[in-house]
Amino acid sequence: MRPRRVVERVGAPLLAVVTLGLLGLMFFYPVWLVLIESVRIDGRYALTAFSDVLTDEFYFGVLAQALSDPTVLVRSFPNYRLGLFGFTAYQAALSTIAAVALGLPGAYVLARFEFPGRRTIRSLTALPFVMPTILVAIGFVATFGKNGVLNVALRGVGLPTLELRGTLLIIVLAHAFYDAPLIARITAAAWEGVDSEMTETARSLGASPFRAVRDVVIPQLLPAILTGAVLTFIFSFMSFAIVLALGGLSKATVEVWVYHKITQLDYETASTLAVLEMVFSLALTYAYLRYEARQRAASTARPAERIPLVGSATKRRLFAWGYAVVALVVFVGPIASLVLASVTGSEGFTLRNYRFLVERQASAYSFQVKPLTAITNSLLFGLGTLVVAVPMGIFLAIVSTREFRGRKLIDTLTMAPFAVSGVVVGLGLLRGFVFGTEAFGYRFTIVGPIAIVAAHAVGAYPFVTRTVAPALSGIDDSLVESARSLGASRARVMLDVELPLVVPAILAGMAFVFAISIGEFDSTVILATGDSSYTMPVAIERFIGRRLGPATAMGVVLLVVTGLSFTVIDRLGEGGFGG
Amino acid sequence: MGSLSLDSVRKSFADTVALDGVTLDIAEGEFFTLVGPSGCGKTTTLRTIAGLESPTSGTVRFDGENVAGVPTEDRDVGIVFQNYALFPHMTVSENVAYGLNFADPPNGESVEERVADLLDLVDLSGMGEREPEQLSGGQQQRVALARALAPAPEILLLDEPMSALDARLRETLRRQIKRIQQELDVTTVYVTHDQEEALAISDRLAVMNDGCVEQVGTPRAVYQEPATEFVAAFVGENNLFRGEAVGTSDDGTTTVSVEDTEFRVADGDLATGALTFCVRPEQLSVGATENQFQVEVDTVEFLGETTRYYAEWGDRTVVFRTPEPEDRDVLTLGFDPSDARVL
Repeated sequence: MRPRRVVERVGAPLLAVVTLGLLGLMFFYPVWLVLIESVRIDGRYALTAFSDVLTDEFYFGVLAQALSDPTVLVRSFPNYRLGLFGFTAYQAALSTIAAVALGLPGAYVLARFEFPGRRTIRSLTALPFVMPTILVAIGFVATFGKNGVLNVALRGVGLPTLELRGTLLIIVLAHAFYDAPLIARITAAAWEGVDSEMTETARSLGASPFRAVRDVVIPQLLPAILTGAVLTFIFSFMSFAIVLALGGLSKATVEVWVYHKITQLDYETASTLAVLEMVFSLALTYAYLRYEARQRAASTARPAERIPLVGSATKRRLFAWGYAVVALVVFVGPIASLVLASVTGSEGFTLRNYRFLVERQASAYSFQVKPLTAITNSLLFGLGTLVVAVPMGIFLAIVSTREFRGRKLIDTLTMAPFAVSGVVVGLGLLRGFVFGTEAFGYRFTIVGPIAIVAAHAVGAYPFVTRTVAPALSGIDDSLVESARSLGASRARVMLDVELPLVVPAILAGMAFVFAISIGEFDSTVILATGDSSYTMPVAIERFIGRRLGPATAMGVVLLVVTGLSFTVIDRLGEGGFGG
Repeated sequence: MGSLSLDSVRKSFADTVALDGVTLDIAEGEFFTLVGPSGCGKTTTLRTIAGLESPTSGTVRFDGENVAGVPTEDRDVGIVFQNYALFPHMTVSENVAYGLNFADPPNGESVEERVADLLDLVDLSGMGEREPEQLSGGQQQRVALARALAPAPEILLLDEPMSALDARLRETLRRQIKRIQQELDVTTVYVTHDQEEALAISDRLAVMNDGCVEQVGTPRAVYQEPATEFVAAFVGENNLFRGEAVGTSDDGTTTVSVEDTEFRVADGDLATGALTFCVRPEQLSVGATENQFQVEVDTVEFLGETTRYYAEWGDRTVVFRTPEPEDRDVLTLGFDPSDARVL
């Protein structure tokens, strides 16, 4: 065996060990610690923490009561007390309904109408994949908050103002803003996959246009709509930043309450709640994946001819225009308000808020948020996350495109971070590494910034894998076989042929990683102990209550970075967005 | 160096048997073709030789040596695929030079010299700096050929290399491949579904069907003496007659009764009972005095040199060719007993 071969043969397994080791340290071990914490009480193992939570009305409402007294289900009908978990599911259900209601007409307009900018809007429906949740929150505060655009307008015309912050309505609206584009995207793709010859056949058999759509089109859209709805429910159930910033503790979901318990240093309750939530979200995700796997089919359909949006006023066109107005208010409104609020003050147009971002540190007291530090932190963590997550993601993409026994297990393990919330990972890393862990007689501690990079990498690498894997498997086998017949080893073929061909996908993956790191809030807010490791999203959340101006200015900075990343992904990525 | 043999090679995938005991001996420097309909196992055979598939059982030997477990990159083969498989991120020269990363150029040449030689060999001198996508299909295929030949492989494997090209180009490229093969004297295994191509290009060929080799031989032998009904029908056009052997004559011919018509065939002295024979279209003629039967012309195709007729004889179709066009609808055909081939 030539010495070069030895390096190649050892190299790949070494990379595998490092990747899986990192995954274990950064994800599985922390999650394991959370699990352990929830079942270890005073040094012994017991499930009392769970039984306490399950029977507590505060958490499970009427279901907790029903455990001891089932008649309560009848007695209090229908005025059930929801409890924390019930409320979380309830707001997720409302959010799902709102997102479907807002997304379906969008799918119709995107799939059936032709108008300038349609392609751009279509790619923008993927924006929520990288848009930081805290950005949505600050956008909504800028629009619907006490001094938001809506109230300024109401005051301007002499009407009483509305305070929507802290209401269920604003949470549901924000979730709909976030998830309706996803539903529109998935459904529009399915709609375009319906062959127009099918509706034409139905028409030729005597069905009215409406009947043809109802009998032929709708049944083919249902799986897509359901897919989008389930995803929305999962996202809304696990939503954290939006609920924390817009609802506060009075409208807390499980995730917010876990965070609240962490800030109170009640790690035991936090862990117990986190485990219960994780069980729920893993079950939902599993059900979703099972369902999604069953309904993938490539389509070579000839979609129906699109209707020009401009033309004589038909019912359809009026509907489409009406929706366009709603979409403008709901989707563009918060973003526009954010930008507007960042450049206006009591004196009119001003750059004061942006100046504040740069000047603040000079006079900042140690307990105050230093905006410039937050910006540089965000960029540094972003770079650190790139260094860790990109090689991991690429390696796992390679693994997932190979055929071997046990691949399914590896796939599942490596995609698990998709289904576990950042708060849980953050909690585990905090307890495990920031507070220190003992092994082999030594005590290991790592500092906050490293833990933050680890948490970001865990959240981000699956996006690299999801972007690079389809590109890799899209490479013609005969290219690989040609290279091998010319004498190249398998590893050499990877370096010489396959990786150079997926460079665009890798760049898209890098943009994903950077965008996700820079917008990550859930675990960062837990791990950012002290202002020295605050990031932009954390600073925004701290600013929201007291200083809307600087918060919006920083939101705009975040928006620009996210937008740039998104452009890279949109230009270079193919897979990943699922639609 | 460069001989190749397969011994009872079987290859089964999850629910299908792709190769059902393939045995072949290919001599050094031979141009050997695997021909058959799609799904017959010819490509699987080629991939097994290349080491891209490993046989379920049986052995593959290079120069008498079992190559089981030897990975593709160590087998000293060159492959050309149907879709060219050029590396899109490398120039033409870089493509051709790629294999020279792993093997020194022969005869002490430098890499540059070797690449220039090979581009010259495939008539692409001066195209080295082009990107693959700037080339036509035929040019891309020649680059693929040059790339496969650059490390001077023992065995050249060609997997339907011309099926993506148009007919005229195929004929030109076919001659070019044959010329290069003879010049380099490299053992070549060529896979095609086109029997005409197989007859034109090969030293010997193997006709494959359903995972088995039906016949191995020179093009002339396979055409003139098909061993099985499948070969008779697949290679060239043919008329198959199924009948009953009813007796032999003193002149050594056998009398065969096909649907109440009696034919005399020269090649069947040992046959009794059910018997099938075939007669090529060009061997049926209007003026023949023996084995006459009457047909009704159905379709006429003018082919230039000859004219082809599809005619009805009872409820079967007979195909025949004549140099001079016939304008009658009903014709009496016949054939020489020695032109019939008993299967």
